[in-house]
Formats: sequence, C-alpha cells, structure tokens
Amino acid sequence: MTTLVLVSHPQLADSTSQQFLKESLPGEGIIWEHIEGQATLDVAKEQEQLRHADRIILQFPLYWYAAPAGLKQWEDTVLTRTFVYGDHRYPLAGKELGIVVTTGMPEQAFQRGGAEDMTLDAALAPLAALTHRAKMTWLPIFPIYQFGYLEEPEKLQLVIDYQRYLTQKQPDSLTNRQDWFAHRLSAMVDQLPAEQQTAGKLIANVFDQNREHLDQLTDTLAMIKEQEDD
Amino acid sequence: MTEQSAWLRQQIDQLANQQSKFTDRAFWLALKRVVAEQDRRSEQLGGEVDGRTWRPDRW
Repeated sequence: MTTLVLVSHPQLADSTSQQFLKESLPGEGIIWEHIEGQATLDVAKEQEQLRHADRIILQFPLYWYAAPAGLKQWEDTVLTRTFVYGDHRYPLAGKELGIVVTTGMPEQAFQRGGAEDMTLDAALAPLAALTHRAKMTWLPIFPIYQFGYLEEPEKLQLVIDYQRYLTQKQPDSLTNRQDWFAHRLSAMVDQLPAEQQTAGKLIANVFDQNREHLDQLTDTLAMIKEQEDD
Repeated sequence: MTEQSAWLRQQIDQLANQQSKFTDRAFWLALKRVVAEQDRRSEQLGGEVDGRTWRPDRW
C-alpha cells in the first residue's frame, strides 16, 4: 500500500508538531511532500502521485476553521475538473482520503457549545465534499489537539497512532489493529540487539497466541449464536 | 488480568525501556496497549460464551 502525505504549512521548519510527525513517519510505503516547499506546482507530477497512491493524507494546522491557503491553492491548481470527474473516469475513485489536523485549541472546544462552537467535521466539510465528488472514501479525521501540551507518554502513543492512521487497514477495529502489529512484529524483533532477541520473540509468540485464542472464541460464539437461532 | 498477561506486559515494558530510539520505544508500548485490549476482549468473549452456554431451560 502506498500512502501519499501532503503537508501544508507556511513555515514548516518552525513547527514542532510537523517536525515530530515527520520523524514519526513509517519506514516504508510513504511518499511525503511539503506543498509550500515546491517552487512551482508541477500539475502532471502531482496528479501522477495521486493516481499512484492508495491512501491520500492531507496534513495541516487549522487556520480559521480551514486548511492553510497553500492547500487551497494546491487544490485549485492540481485538482482540475477534468482530472477529478470531468471526463467521467474518476481516477481517484476508491482511494482513501484522511486528514491529519493540528489545533491550538483543546478537544472540548470543537463541539456545539464549546469555545469554537463547531466540530472539526463541520469545519472540514468542503474537503469531505471533495472526497465524495471524487468517489473517494473519507477516513475519520485524525486530530492532534494542542501538541505543545502533550507529555511524553502521549507523544509516544501519538507516534504509533499516526503511523497506523497512515498505513493500517480501516476501520480501526481490534482485528485490523492486531494485523497491523503482527505484520511489523517480526521486523521489529529482527532489529533488536542479540541480547534482547529472546524477549522479543517471546512477546511476539504470546501476542500471536492471544490473537488465535480470540479468533477461536469469536468462532465459538458465532456457532452458539447460530444454534440459538435454530 | 491473568498472571500470564501481567508477566507479558512487564516483559514489554522492560524491552521498551531498553530501546534508545523514540519510535521503537513507541512501538513496544503501543503493542502493550493492544495486548491489554486482547485480554479484555478475551475475557468478555469468554464470559459471553459461558453465559450463552448456561441455559437451564435446556437441561
């Protein structure tokens, strides 16, 4: 799976949250681009990247209930009518579109009656409409509230939640989460120094056993329910 | 929490603490959360299986 991460930020180097996210990127399957970092937008190249990606992530800070101007300019330049739907070919159909948005206000501000009196879903409705128009699948928004106030445990959690948002199969169910971790575990164990390998392998084994046990329980339960229906 | 899962979580914590790279530590700690979730789900499903099997009306 290829994920295209399009970052819009007028001063990327000054943004600690954006630098943090860049450092957190998964090792493979990612194409990362800073929109404002392009001298000029190469429309053909941008469109080709979109065609090539399975999941497209728009990542930006929330400025006045919207993305920065750079992203709008990118949309207006790259997402031409002909490209998105004009010739009835819909090259983006079936792809997933996700939003990673950072905010200066806390989570509780983004609700009716909250300080912003608006949900993020409502603020970003134009991007959802665009997703719909292009016959893409809208992923639940990945918000990062007040990055500057996060403590280390929250930042550690953010690294993996972000990686999963970029690369894990949706929806974010336990089954899909387990699959994501299982897929990475052996590589993570392999890169451990020799003296930690045993512990790593043991952990991976128990994780797999837990997973199988859950599958069995689910099957048993399905069987019981089936009999009850008879 | 069963003894085995407590032991497993302790093993993961130890391994995580030995990682110098922030993103590696993050991986193991996040795995610990999924293991906790596995335990919880397994307990719930096990309970449901017991509950549904316990049918005095079919004795």
